Amino acid sequence: MAKKQSSLLLKRQQSLAIKLLLPTFIVLGLVAIYPLGDVFVTSFTDREFAGGEDNTTDFVGFQNYFSLLGFTFKELPPVLNDDGTQKIDEKTGEPVYERAIRVLPRDPYRYRELSQFNWFGKRIVVGARNPDFLKAIWNTLVFTVLSVFLETLLGLFIALVVNSNFKAKGALRTTMLVPWAVITVVSARIWEWMLQPGNIGFFNMLLFRLGLGDGQASFLTSAALQMPSMVMVDVWKTTPYMALLILAGLQTIPKELYEAANVDGAHKVRQFFSITFPLLRPALAVALIFRTLDALRVFDVFQVLLGSKMYSMASYNYFQLIQNRQMGLASAIGVIIFIFIAVFAVIYMRLMGVDKE
Amino acid sequence: MKKFLLVLTLVTFLLSVSFGAVTLTVAAGAVGIELELAQQAAEEFMALYPGVEVKVLETPDLATDRLGLYLQFFEAKSSEVDVYQIDVIWPGDLAQHLVDLYQYGGHDYAGNHFPAIIENNTVDGKLIGIPWFTDAGLLYYRTDLLEKYGYDHPPATWDELEEMAKTVQAGEKANNPDFWGFVFQGNAYEGLTCDALEWVASNGGGTIINTDKQITIANSKAAEILEQVRGWIGTIAPEGVLGFAEEDARKVFQGGNALFMRNWPYAWSLGQSDDSAVKGLFGACPLPAGDSGKGAAALGGWQLAVSKYSKNPALAAQLAFYLANYENQKKRAIIGSYNPTIMSLYQDPDVLEATPIFGSLYDVFINATARPSTASAPRYNEVSTLFFQAVHSVISGEEEAMTALENLALDLEEVTGFEVIWE
Amino acid sequence: MTRKKTKQLISKILFYILIVVIFFYLLFPFYWALNSSLKSEAQLSQTPATFIPRDANGKISIFWNNYASIFANATFVRSIFNSIIVAGSTTLVSLLIGSFSAFALGKLYFKGKKVTLYLILSMTMFPQVTVLSGLYAVITTLNLAAVPSMILTYMIFTLPFTTWVLTTFFKQLPNEIMQSAQVDGATPFQTFWMILLPLTAPALVTTGLLAFIAAWNEYLFALTFTSIEPTARTIPVAISMFSGTIARQEPFGEIMAAAVMVTIPVVLLVLIFQRKIVAGLTAGAVKG
Repeated sequence: MAKKQSSLLLKRQQSLAIKLLLPTFIVLGLVAIYPLGDVFVTSFTDREFAGGEDNTTDFVGFQNYFSLLGFTFKELPPVLNDDGTQKIDEKTGEPVYERAIRVLPRDPYRYRELSQFNWFGKRIVVGARNPDFLKAIWNTLVFTVLSVFLETLLGLFIALVVNSNFKAKGALRTTMLVPWAVITVVSARIWEWMLQPGNIGFFNMLLFRLGLGDGQASFLTSAALQMPSMVMVDVWKTTPYMALLILAGLQTIPKELYEAANVDGAHKVRQFFSITFPLLRPALAVALIFRTLDALRVFDVFQVLLGSKMYSMASYNYFQLIQNRQMGLASAIGVIIFIFIAVFAVIYMRLMGVDKE
Repeated sequence: MKKFLLVLTLVTFLLSVSFGAVTLTVAAGAVGIELELAQQAAEEFMALYPGVEVKVLETPDLATDRLGLYLQFFEAKSSEVDVYQIDVIWPGDLAQHLVDLYQYGGHDYAGNHFPAIIENNTVDGKLIGIPWFTDAGLLYYRTDLLEKYGYDHPPATWDELEEMAKTVQAGEKANNPDFWGFVFQGNAYEGLTCDALEWVASNGGGTIINTDKQITIANSKAAEILEQVRGWIGTIAPEGVLGFAEEDARKVFQGGNALFMRNWPYAWSLGQSDDSAVKGLFGACPLPAGDSGKGAAALGGWQLAVSKYSKNPALAAQLAFYLANYENQKKRAIIGSYNPTIMSLYQDPDVLEATPIFGSLYDVFINATARPSTASAPRYNEVSTLFFQAVHSVISGEEEAMTALENLALDLEEVTGFEVIWE
Repeated sequence: MTRKKTKQLISKILFYILIVVIFFYLLFPFYWALNSSLKSEAQLSQTPATFIPRDANGKISIFWNNYASIFANATFVRSIFNSIIVAGSTTLVSLLIGSFSAFALGKLYFKGKKVTLYLILSMTMFPQVTVLSGLYAVITTLNLAAVPSMILTYMIFTLPFTTWVLTTFFKQLPNEIMQSAQVDGATPFQTFWMILLPLTAPALVTTGLLAFIAAWNEYLFALTFTSIEPTARTIPVAISMFSGTIARQEPFGEIMAAAVMVTIPVVLLVLIFQRKIVAGLTAGAVKG
């Protein structure tokens, strides 16, 4: 009898759940199903964006994926002197190898040099069919790891400070959202302005005044400064997002737990690791997932600040779609980004142990 | 023929009117004077053609965003927009979505405009856009500083420019550590394609891809001038110039911190405004020459084109012709300093009075060098991106010029399928 | 004893220094935008850049014209209202239906919960530019006006977000609340609507604010969907259409002025709701 009742209860809950989920699925079905399906199908074709009437679209299988991701390794033969020893560059003192362009295959597809490395005394060159995209993947991953890590750390820190008791708490709670509230496209412009090469820009002026530079550093053109600049901009902009989500998570932790811990005389740091962190995990996991999802799709900052000097996956995607009108290729890039995000999401859920039903 | 066309236009017009009021939409520039001028002209057109309503639609200021929006319309074969304002590099790429204006009486107008632009806008014998306003690269120079250091004329060659810039910069840096000899557009973007095309063409290195669809960029003249430009970075030009676009260069020059600047004509009137630090202290002239003995100026500017998906293409074409006619271009030149594309306007006393510099610009405009956009269509954007990336890597010292240009030629061959002319 | 006191005092001072540093870090770029918005073009091209708008002789000189001209721009002023409507409706709708699903996912028993969660998340995993042309086709087919089409398409990124965040919060509420409510004869839906939802107020406010700002900032969709309906333009689109008095000139001061002005409504919104972020759930009240 009791069993029957509970199964009835379960059934009722199940039907209620379906009813409650229905609006979400209707809305998402309406706006998402067709565009997503379209992207997926288009990624297997050579469709051109705004191709016009006389343009035919053909099914090309995985060609777009191969042309984006294809790579090869080749050994570079050393350049020899007349006496058979390897030639040494007089300026750099490095041994000289054959130029990569002569070694990498050109038929049926051309491979361009991506990078070189030494392997057991041999010089190996990595050739890629599309080095720009492979670099974009690498850039995006580095950007994502660095910025999400720093944002989480800083966000957690700010959230803990705001969550503690002090005057001006309300003021800090409000100001902490200001960076996130500045319109993304415009905040990229603010930073571009601050990072201007020459004393016209804030950072150069500051470094110059502090006697740390000639006031001519170009943050956005020199290869060494590009990525740190991007990370700095993104950390400023999105730390509030993390801080707010973490703060909301902190709020759900019952105060009694801390009171009890205080009675036990547990140190603050220990309290953090034994109470705060474990209970914060679900909120943290969700914050991380959505933050990572945005970071992997980062677009505005790269587009505004770096243009075609350095691509992220999404800005390369935009370039292929709008400038080159390669819709098939652009869709394949979309699917690849999708897969990256999916992998990250699953990893987070597993690591944080929050995907139990 | 002319009469027939007129009748045709009138008939289509009457037909469409009898089915209710006709609305024409023009996708034009952004807000500000540009929009006001377009709206005024639209109202005058409505007065001429009662029953027609003309709507002017602002579009984003950034050319890439604007292109993205247009492509979205074309992809959807949308009839919402009838007349598009298009960049000088787009006619080839967008030709498949635009009507041939020769079919709607374009022959009557084409002859009045600069031939170089008409040639640029002609794709497979079809007139894709009617020129609206034009642009070309100029050299701006500080008259006071040249005089101070004993020069009585602006530089005629790049070598001369380099020498003057070195002397003046060495003298001025003592008082002003932010002073530089020469600023230009060195960021990796379309603007660098223009600047580099000017360097290469002026040195006799061709125009990347010639009109016979051959890739000509891999040559020693081109390599030579790019190596020379690389030598400027950090010496007569700031390192930061590798990230400069038009407005960055103008800020440096207008703030009184540069001797020379390569820029478009727009910088003239802004530099002469009251709050400019260099008001009355600078001049503009054609860009210096290299080994070819002639300077080259990249052609810029915007055209009006009619969408194939328009419901009233004939009427829309009339609107495009109307907006780009003598009177309207004159008004735009006087009020907004838009450079006319109609040759005779450069002798118009009213125009010359409002903007005296127009007189001396005539030669620059008529000889302007078009980017190879029509020859390489519909792959121009890819061609240009590969070109400015290669140039950027050379002038920033990452790659040796000849190697970069040879690689570029191979890349271009792959993208366009054209033959490479090796030197 | 005094030693302990000084130690406390020092740590208190350090704490406040820390807070000042945080304030500074968060606000400085915004201050720089404000500073730039009060400079004329000539002041913007001055070297070295100044912390306060100054004229060529170093005297303080504030330039108000950037603000005057953005408010003279009717499209910009209207865009503020459009943005409020679009972002506001997007937030309300996604909070409402998002909390329904979140309740189901967080508190009810049914099969395929994990799949459902991932399915909802997967809707938001493509980059915007890739789905844009497909969305444009959907909107054209549905023949929607600009404002509803923005609200509907923004769901693609706000709805999965609200659903996921709220799910974790519902999960954390003790099951005893539901059970005791059911003992009192409430249906599960009543329990959700009258008891659980008010308890998750801080989470609702937080996700609402974040979703609001995400919608407020959106540019690419808005640009496309308002292209032929200029009266519906939102702020980012309106700013992208700022142009100088002549072609190629970029009104940087005006863009900065707009950046400052459009941040104010959001800050006000946060001011109104910030107490709620921490007020709603005092965990003691939750105990079943």
